[in-house]
Amino acid sequence: MSALLERLAELGGVQHEFKGMTSVTVPKRAVLDALRAARADGLEMLTDIHGMDYLTYPGHTGKRFAVIYNVHDVAGRRRLFIRVDLDDGETLPTATGLWSGASFLERETFDMMGVVFDGHPDLRKLLTPEDLEGHPHRKDFPLGETPTLFGDGRFLDPASFRAGLSGRDQGLTGWKGGARDGVVASQTPKAPGTAQRPEKSGS
Amino acid sequence: MSKGTVVKHDTELGAFDTQHMRINVGPQHPSTHGVLRLVVDLDGERIVSLRPHVGYLHTGFEKTMENRTYQQGVTYSNRMDYVNGFAHDLAYILGVEKLIGARVPERAQRVRVILTELNRIASHLVFFGTTLLDMGALTPFFYTMREREVLQDIFESVSGVRMNYGYFRVGGLYRDVPENFEPMVRQFVKEFPDYLDQYKDLFMGNDILEARTRGVAVLTRQQALDWCLTGPSLRASGVPLDFRKAAPYSGYQDYDFDVPCYDDGDIWARMQVRMDEMHESLRIVAQAIDMLEPGPTIDPDRRISLPPRHELENSMEAVIFHFKLVTEGFHPPKGEVYVPTESARGELGYYIASDGGSMPYRVKVRAPSLANLQSLEVSSRGGLFADMVINIASFDPVLGDVDK
Repeated sequence: MSALLERLAELGGVQHEFKGMTSVTVPKRAVLDALRAARADGLEMLTDIHGMDYLTYPGHTGKRFAVIYNVHDVAGRRRLFIRVDLDDGETLPTATGLWSGASFLERETFDMMGVVFDGHPDLRKLLTPEDLEGHPHRKDFPLGETPTLFGDGRFLDPASFRAGLSGRDQGLTGWKGGARDGVVASQTPKAPGTAQRPEKSGS
Repeated sequence: MSKGTVVKHDTELGAFDTQHMRINVGPQHPSTHGVLRLVVDLDGERIVSLRPHVGYLHTGFEKTMENRTYQQGVTYSNRMDYVNGFAHDLAYILGVEKLIGARVPERAQRVRVILTELNRIASHLVFFGTTLLDMGALTPFFYTMREREVLQDIFESVSGVRMNYGYFRVGGLYRDVPENFEPMVRQFVKEFPDYLDQYKDLFMGNDILEARTRGVAVLTRQQALDWCLTGPSLRASGVPLDFRKAAPYSGYQDYDFDVPCYDDGDIWARMQVRMDEMHESLRIVAQAIDMLEPGPTIDPDRRISLPPRHELENSMEAVIFHFKLVTEGFHPPKGEVYVPTESARGELGYYIASDGGSMPYRVKVRAPSLANLQSLEVSSRGGLFADMVINIASFDPVLGDVDK
């Protein structure tokens, strides 16, 4: 492992240790060389490729994205994380020439983080639907705020839907829930501007 | 079905053209073990190329976990692999425990190992039932489900549910196991070897099964490494990698067990590895249940685990810790961790990044089924269409694990 770490340092790699895990941050141009060196040193198995988005990470000053290659040896005892820092719009060379199995892993990273891998034979989205815009694991992608058009033509806008639940707004249906049995309707607090459930006719 | 590539033939009987046929399989199809879509190009009955399309079950678990406290993440982890939930729980919990440095009591470790190994057996039983079902054998499904039912009763007795257990906690277990846990496990350890021998004769000793699986859909050692295969499918191709041995976690170094490995790389080997693994898992369970001593089941550190209920009545500090844990949870130090574990399908690990807050900054699941599924492209190529169905089953994909 030490010979490999020296070789990676020659390529411009910076080593970090955390809780017994070794990771090396290499410059973008050296990423394939670093992977080749790791492979030549016996780290023959590529476990995972994934992206990180440090947009909202407290105290982070470097580039916004990082892509992490998780490689280990066949005996499973030595593991190395090779990291590359990237800005938005920067691309990486594909690792499918080294491991055919990198194909799905890079497609997933592209889908979730929007990192483009140059030279990938078939770089399409992997998990999200074709018509979804954006990359869900980016920190600026909203959580559960995607307006949805249902098959029957009904359109659901989450913001107004939630407003309807909290009572500040009429919401989609205008229904706020009626009084329980045995409670006089006038005793229930009435928020201004909310729609009431229609009275039963004839009672 | 659509028009595919035109192939020119020039034989002694004359020149003619044929066309590859493109067939869509799935996404809703009984033999795809979930919602998996395959686009297959056929030359007659032989497969020329195969492309898997996944993502139909994508639920955004990772993103959801980034917006929940660490302890709440247990609710989501086991829902990914719904056949082998304890393994996902354990992988996630181990990552968080490494991050905050929790000290897990020995009893909790033993119970975790027992449940994870029993869950591995249950998962492999589902594997055998469904794989043989794909081959046209209906009866084995009922046999394997009968055994799995006993295991489900054990899981229900400890966690209260039969699926999506959520029983492990950061620092230990949700609560101690019930009194009938030990007798139930001992009973299973006593009875299951007979059933296992029966299965060996019935399934693996079957001439029809051998004829259909020997030498079919072979993955060589080199191909398996190239396609990032892990788990039993990798061990069937001659790489004896098992993280329970290579990087022991949860006290696996205390148990005596072997790692079954075959060099054949065909469907038969992938089935045989799992058959042998059930035997090894049972050995581990038998040892662990003997080593199970009474004791605490959760880390007593008040900053990690809830104080016992009776302390809340006479200790103000206990109330404060309880309040802090329930409302915001604990705050691990900044850092990024990854703990590899061996699930029933392969290497499973959670890459967890902490920014010092009470919710993970980033959770990335390294799910074994996703990487394993890719190798269908190469293992099915040149084979018969009918063999492709067993080939999918032989990798034991769980589509929740693939799509996350």
